[in-house]
Amino acid sequence: MNTSTFVDGRGWLYRFDPRAKILLMILLCVFFFLPITLVGLAVSVLLVIAVGWHNTGTRNMVSVLKSITPMLLFMLLFAPFNVRGGEVLLSIGSVTIITVEGAAQALRLACRFIGITYVCTLLFATTVMGELMLALRFWRLPYKAALVVTLSFSSIPFIAESFSQIGESHSLREAADEEKKNYIQRLKDLLPTLTSVLVVALRSIPNLAMSLEMRGLGRSETRSSYRSLDSYTHLFTDFVISITIVTVLWLIFKA
Amino acid sequence: MATALTITNLRFTYRSYDGIEVEPLLSNLNLTIGEGERVLLLAPFDKGKTTLAKIICGVCPKYFPGALEGSVSVFGHDLSLTEPWQLLTEVGYVSQNPAEQFIATTVEEEIAFPLESLGLVQSEMAERIDWALEKWGLTHLRDANESELSGGERKRVLLAIQDAIAPRLWLLDEVFDDLDVEWRAHLQQVIAQEGRTTLVLASRYLDEFADLFDRVLLLDGKSVVEMERGDLLDRFAHLSGDDRPNPLGAAPIEPRHTHTLAVEDLVVERRRRNALRAAPFELVVEGFELQSGEVVTLTGANGSGKSSFSRLLCGLDEPKSGIISIDGVPTSSKALNRTVGYLFQNPDLQIFLPTVEEELAWSLKRRSDLSSREIKDLVSEAAELFGLTLTDTPTTMSYPGRKALQAAVYYLLDRPFYILDELDSALTYHSALTIIAHLRRRGAAILLITHDRLFASKVGGRGYTIEEGRLRDA
Amino acid sequence: MQQNRNALKLAVTAVLTAVVVVFTMIIRIPTAKGYLNLCDVAICFIAFTFGPASSFIAAALGTALADLISGYAQWAPISFAVHGLEGLLIALIVRSKGDHEASFLRKIIAGIVCMATVSLGYFALSALFISTAAVAAAEIPGNLVQSAVGFILGLAVSSAVKRAYPPVSALSW
Repeated sequence: MNTSTFVDGRGWLYRFDPRAKILLMILLCVFFFLPITLVGLAVSVLLVIAVGWHNTGTRNMVSVLKSITPMLLFMLLFAPFNVRGGEVLLSIGSVTIITVEGAAQALRLACRFIGITYVCTLLFATTVMGELMLALRFWRLPYKAALVVTLSFSSIPFIAESFSQIGESHSLREAADEEKKNYIQRLKDLLPTLTSVLVVALRSIPNLAMSLEMRGLGRSETRSSYRSLDSYTHLFTDFVISITIVTVLWLIFKA
Repeated sequence: MATALTITNLRFTYRSYDGIEVEPLLSNLNLTIGEGERVLLLAPFDKGKTTLAKIICGVCPKYFPGALEGSVSVFGHDLSLTEPWQLLTEVGYVSQNPAEQFIATTVEEEIAFPLESLGLVQSEMAERIDWALEKWGLTHLRDANESELSGGERKRVLLAIQDAIAPRLWLLDEVFDDLDVEWRAHLQQVIAQEGRTTLVLASRYLDEFADLFDRVLLLDGKSVVEMERGDLLDRFAHLSGDDRPNPLGAAPIEPRHTHTLAVEDLVVERRRRNALRAAPFELVVEGFELQSGEVVTLTGANGSGKSSFSRLLCGLDEPKSGIISIDGVPTSSKALNRTVGYLFQNPDLQIFLPTVEEELAWSLKRRSDLSSREIKDLVSEAAELFGLTLTDTPTTMSYPGRKALQAAVYYLLDRPFYILDELDSALTYHSALTIIAHLRRRGAAILLITHDRLFASKVGGRGYTIEEGRLRDA
Repeated sequence: MQQNRNALKLAVTAVLTAVVVVFTMIIRIPTAKGYLNLCDVAICFIAFTFGPASSFIAAALGTALADLISGYAQWAPISFAVHGLEGLLIALIVRSKGDHEASFLRKIIAGIVCMATVSLGYFALSALFISTAAVAAAEIPGNLVQSAVGFILGLAVSSAVKRAYPPVSALSW
């Protein structure tokens, strides 16, 4: 199970201070919800995509698009349910399929959805997990919360691996009666696998706690940090840039 | 000379979860180790060696509930008054099972964590980490995740961590296992280093131990004894069952049918676990055959492809090319699932029921051709054969017990072919051979996978080996 | 004395969060929102076996992380709120004093709360922040099925795990 969201690439986003990147992401997401012109929204989203493409490459951009396509199609499908009153855009006979306002709303929602998706994806694609956690701690995330997230990420591979091995082990054990199985039967057969997986996961807990304490968690000395964000030397500048970008977009495109 | 470790009148009993009283695991145990001494404690598998190690680290009974009497002190710290983190620079523990000690996402972070606990400055941490990585040959694995490492590499990471911390007492549990010759020599040097106190726990006496230790002790029954080395080793062999006759020789075989599992022109695509290394490459099988009643061994270094090959034989994966046939007929993966039983190295992968009896009966109950009376009889017979108690809770049984349960479950499945993956890790040779003898009873064919050539020789019979991407006769 | 349980609480929370992530991502049936998955099985298991605090954190954090990793970042805050609430409420409803198991009535109530929280929660928040009421409404049937199946399986698994692995009671906080 691949838990990595980082995409190797070159570009200014990778050199941008993670603490300012988080601010930029939040401000952009808020911006997309503000009353701005539809054209302005579309242009902003295209800018985001362009920046993303320049930094992380075509393949990443396309894979994001693929994952949100089902939702976009749904939005398209349900567009006729939007605003019903107003100028008719498309009709068959006397049945109004969609109005101008309806189409505009659908487009706005789609653009906003695409924009937020790309903004969030880009944050995670251009920032290494360790630095992201440090940036969040800068924004006052407690050490324990960051530790829980890091420990979860360390546990995920082994639980996922156990899941597939346990599934195989059970299917080998039950192999004789593979033939006719309806959905209820399949769900019931999932039970042994799920139980074994959970027992294996639960058993790892005392070991994890024990190892944490044996490696010094709980000592009276103030904990230091091996990693730091010191290599990013333009924190203030990047903050200013983040705020400026969004302010400028707002000023240009506000409705 | 100051004492590093003093244990007086230790008595420890694990908590019982089914209301039945349990015997103490350790009793009347006394042990004193002076600072700077190098001590080897031999103990047969599953007799309390790892529990003792955890007690010395101060994490038992905190994380492994039980009743502890007596006193334990490490460099003057009374462990009943000390929290484990206070012992960070006093005791360093390398576990028999490295997976349970990994807490970070990369090797580098793993070494950094305890150094952060010590509050060291960044430059000092970087220096220690670089030095430790280099010393144990791990520099190129700096950013690797635990799941991408081989068994030997994981042990080296744990050793690197202790080197970076530099505790006063090193507690090493089965640490020579899994390391290849070059690193074992390295480890010997580390142990022999001046000024360090080392306690090595082992369940097999290795040649490397001969000149390495000041004292050799034995965990005999529930306490520690010290005697003249020759006598001690004899006693140890006896406790491990090494002096008992080989179960494989004595066991009767009553084959009912003869089946042959064979492969032709087989090429196995080996899934490389990690993205850091080279692209997947192939294992070419020159010839392989397994007949009813035989026990055949497959040896090879860690990571050579033994598991990949076995997965093909039981139909979990498809070969890149070639045919697998039973009795001359090419067989599909689904049919292989039903005919070839694969016992994963980890017995916990299929345990999910509350008692041994239910676990054994489960597969039988799914068959339509057995009455409950018949099922009960078969279950009792299997339990007796494998030395299991029907009312025990599998998840709280010892490791050898769970291995025996896994074997018993498969015994009841009555497959004509069994593949045993690394059966001998964490079991005495005698126990492992006994399990093989039982499985072979009704004439099943056994393929035993191991990286321990000594065990392979005890098993005897034909052997295959994997070298440089080719599987051939040994 | 050795009484400090902080490391154990951390370990429990981390592993349970990881369990939720794995259950969410490992088996998936595609739909419009993303996928139908086993996250509710994991959340209900945790709610029946552990306390309200760990249920809330594991459910909220686990589903949010799974969304982030799978590229559905915009749903992460919504999953955090909805599933977090789900875990918290179920754990509170079935919480029992001592060793007694929750009554059948409580379990029914918990089941209804589970299904309602997930479907209505996602409906409301999706309609507000992602798309329109119409699109969000289309996901209700899928969410109802997923949460119902998840609840039943989670309950079954919880009782199976408690019987198979008695030491679990010492881990709950």
